Amino acid sequence: MTAPAPPSELSGEGIVIKGLHKRYGDTVALGGLDITAQPGEILGIAGPNGSGKSTMVKTLAGEVIADSGRVLLDGVELAAEDLAGYVTIVHQEPQVFLNLTVAENLLVGRERRRVLNRRIDSEETELLADMGLSEHVHTDLESLPLAAQQRTEIARALAQDARIFLFDEPNSALTEEESEDLFRRMHDLADSGRVVILVSHRLHELVVHADRVGMIIDGQCRVILQGDELTEERVARELVVGVDKGGEAGADALDVASTAGRVGGEQDSVALRLSGWTHRDGGFAGIDMSVGLGEIVAISGVEGSGARELVHSLAGFAPATGSLRVGADGSSESNGDGRAARAATDEVGFVGANRAENLFFNLSVGENLLSRLSTDICDRLGLLHPRTLRSAAEHLADQFRVKAGSVDDPIGSLSGGNQQKVVIGAATATRPKILVLEEPTRGVDIGSKSEIYRLLRQYADPESQLGLPDMEGHGEAVVLYCTEDAEIFEVADRVYVIAQGRISGELNLSDYDDVESLAADRVRLEAGG
Amino acid sequence: MSNDTNEPETTAATEPRDRVLPRLGGLGLQRVGGLLAAVVIAGFVFAVWSGWLFLKTGNLVVMIRLMGVLGIIGLGLLVVLLVGEIDLSFSALAVLSAVVMGKMWVELGYHIAIGILVAFAVAVGVGLFNAFFVNVVKVPSFIVTLGSNTLVFGFTLLISRNTPILAQKLPPNPEEWQVRGGDYVDAAEYTFFRALASNYALPGRFPLQVVWLAGFAIVFGVLLSRGVFGFRMKAIGGNEQAAVLAKLPVRRYKTLAFVICACMAAVGGLLDFSFISQVQPNQGGVYLFPVFTAVIIGGASLSGGRGTVSGTLLGALLLAVISNGLALNATGAFVQQMWLGTVTIAAVVLDQWARSRQGGESLGVQLRDLAGRFTRMNS
Repeated sequence: MTAPAPPSELSGEGIVIKGLHKRYGDTVALGGLDITAQPGEILGIAGPNGSGKSTMVKTLAGEVIADSGRVLLDGVELAAEDLAGYVTIVHQEPQVFLNLTVAENLLVGRERRRVLNRRIDSEETELLADMGLSEHVHTDLESLPLAAQQRTEIARALAQDARIFLFDEPNSALTEEESEDLFRRMHDLADSGRVVILVSHRLHELVVHADRVGMIIDGQCRVILQGDELTEERVARELVVGVDKGGEAGADALDVASTAGRVGGEQDSVALRLSGWTHRDGGFAGIDMSVGLGEIVAISGVEGSGARELVHSLAGFAPATGSLRVGADGSSESNGDGRAARAATDEVGFVGANRAENLFFNLSVGENLLSRLSTDICDRLGLLHPRTLRSAAEHLADQFRVKAGSVDDPIGSLSGGNQQKVVIGAATATRPKILVLEEPTRGVDIGSKSEIYRLLRQYADPESQLGLPDMEGHGEAVVLYCTEDAEIFEVADRVYVIAQGRISGELNLSDYDDVESLAADRVRLEAGG
Repeated sequence: MSNDTNEPETTAATEPRDRVLPRLGGLGLQRVGGLLAAVVIAGFVFAVWSGWLFLKTGNLVVMIRLMGVLGIIGLGLLVVLLVGEIDLSFSALAVLSAVVMGKMWVELGYHIAIGILVAFAVAVGVGLFNAFFVNVVKVPSFIVTLGSNTLVFGFTLLISRNTPILAQKLPPNPEEWQVRGGDYVDAAEYTFFRALASNYALPGRFPLQVVWLAGFAIVFGVLLSRGVFGFRMKAIGGNEQAAVLAKLPVRRYKTLAFVICACMAAVGGLLDFSFISQVQPNQGGVYLFPVFTAVIIGGASLSGGRGTVSGTLLGALLLAVISNGLALNATGAFVQQMWLGTVTIAAVVLDQWARSRQGGESLGVQLRDLAGRFTRMNS
């Protein structure tokens, strides 16, 4: 890409953030953040959830006004309301007009005449060509893939001469190929003299693409890694050390998760069995698999392989036929149709991939934890008693180590990792025999990740007491849809790899000593064996 | 893990001020205070303006009666808004119920109980109709109920031939009276009917509608703030997707909400019929604006998941004060309408300002959410 000539003003010292402070009530989101990003470099930002990363992003975007501190662009202080003019934020969800075409998106807000002329000039045509959008100029944005929408967002910013590009977990919903393309564009932007900041949970990407990586912990930039120091291990260590100072989760928790794994996995008794399980819409067919009592089984496959649909069908969210047996006692068996199918999938608790689709943002932390319960929390008249509710909610919050001031806090006030713990806590509260989770640690920081792994391990254990004390039933197994090798390696006992709607292979995690060899085998199977 | 059982109880015990899941029940104190202040201020302005006519018993009775009707219908609407849907058909349905009842009882001569039963059956039918299109056909409720509103209104005009229905009993000795035309009903049934909402039975001519409202408010209050019913309604309204994933019975609750709203509209319509013993079939739209406004000013969220019974009651009271005060003071019905619109916008602006100061969800945000819903429904 040959982006338009770099704005000459930005040849200086770039963007300097000095002593940024922001408090929300008693919570300190930013505690004197100092960081500098120079033109021509990619500055990586890493930090656990709740460390103040998103507050920093919002402050730079002008959405949040800091209590104190300064943001300087080439030595000139910028007021909060001016920031939006200079800084472009590229999110996982592009902030574009989905109902307009690519060209209209480029023009909106910059219309030069009263009469709307949808034609774009040569400069803009060139810009869109650079962004690989030539063939979509007059296509409605909503019919284009996410990656193209993001490119439109970048093109729009370039057309408006934005100087600072802040990428906030931009590729969490992109395919590998699309991500690579996005990173190439980030480098192009940096090479053209713009300031590029990349916020990511994926350490690998930070290490590969960023010139320097700043670690934000407890609202401060603790350390900046560059050059030889910039390795995945070092970043991970800094993060864990940082988390350790702040809370109980830390390096130990990581070890616990990896060593506590694979204790269960006895195949004597079967918690879930599928035979001839076939998707109605053709996503997968003839699946035969079983999940043992106490086992954690991962189902893996590329997008479109049918793996995701398979996981949905276990919980009754995708239509399928065949035989499904849930429960070690074989209590619920169905052929996938009608009442029996519903009864079988009723024993399955489900947590979807998108956190926003799992939480009730109008309810408090405690109400969210209890949201799936019904007769278990009320008296015979169907009435709820505040005291009982509170103690039940606190019990769950405690077990799941939800870091919240009180169970009465709004759920939106929690960090992503803690929200995810609430989601999983709510799903286990009814004690489903099988817990099915789709990408359970997407967008979750490393400390919460290990805690979530520990909780899943605990839930899969039939002896465990996770959940409310006087509830009947217990968890028998956990099934995950998961595509991250590190996650599979840490938490799963076995993994079924799905390719083209069929099981292309089954890997037993006890055969693997390191992630790399697991990844190699899994990718081979994903490609179809 | 085993001794965890006792821990939370000790925590609860050591925390005497039981601030338990507060939004399950109560309304923010500031909001109650704000609404009450608005009621008092509006009341005072109207009182002075009307030369204290506003505070005369007779007028207060009229005002409180209006609050009763707005509140009763509003409680039904509240349930629909809570579950994240919208109902625009309740106003037309309130009149249809009364017309159906009048038709059966006055014109066709059935027993009053049958008339009332059929009226409620029609209401349940309309509720199920709305719910069917929302749940099964997946049409946005705004569109469905906009349609059913007109459908119901047209049907009302059709079956009544747009003629008012008057409930009257034959005087004891008709030959001494100049008997009006039309149909006559059984005297005992007539007495029963008028007693439902008449303000003559109670001391001080206290309007009986408010007693009905109080009863419904208690039932709805308990159900919504203390019942699993209300808890789940709020969850579903807050995030339907999450409710589906959590396997909550989303469709059943939505159906229930529409049916409850329809039945409350029927109750309101029948009580009004009882009070004035006459029903005007072409009055199908009169409740739409004030009831909606009352519920929204009372703090219910147009985007679902938020709203309280206490807020709805106060909203109904405020609306009753405003419309009655204006009727008393403004010159003519047309100007009164204009005032009502103006005052409503003013109330919403004030509310928005107050909420932005306390950081709550303002009506402006709500309207944006609503706009979002329209965009979604088009895609």
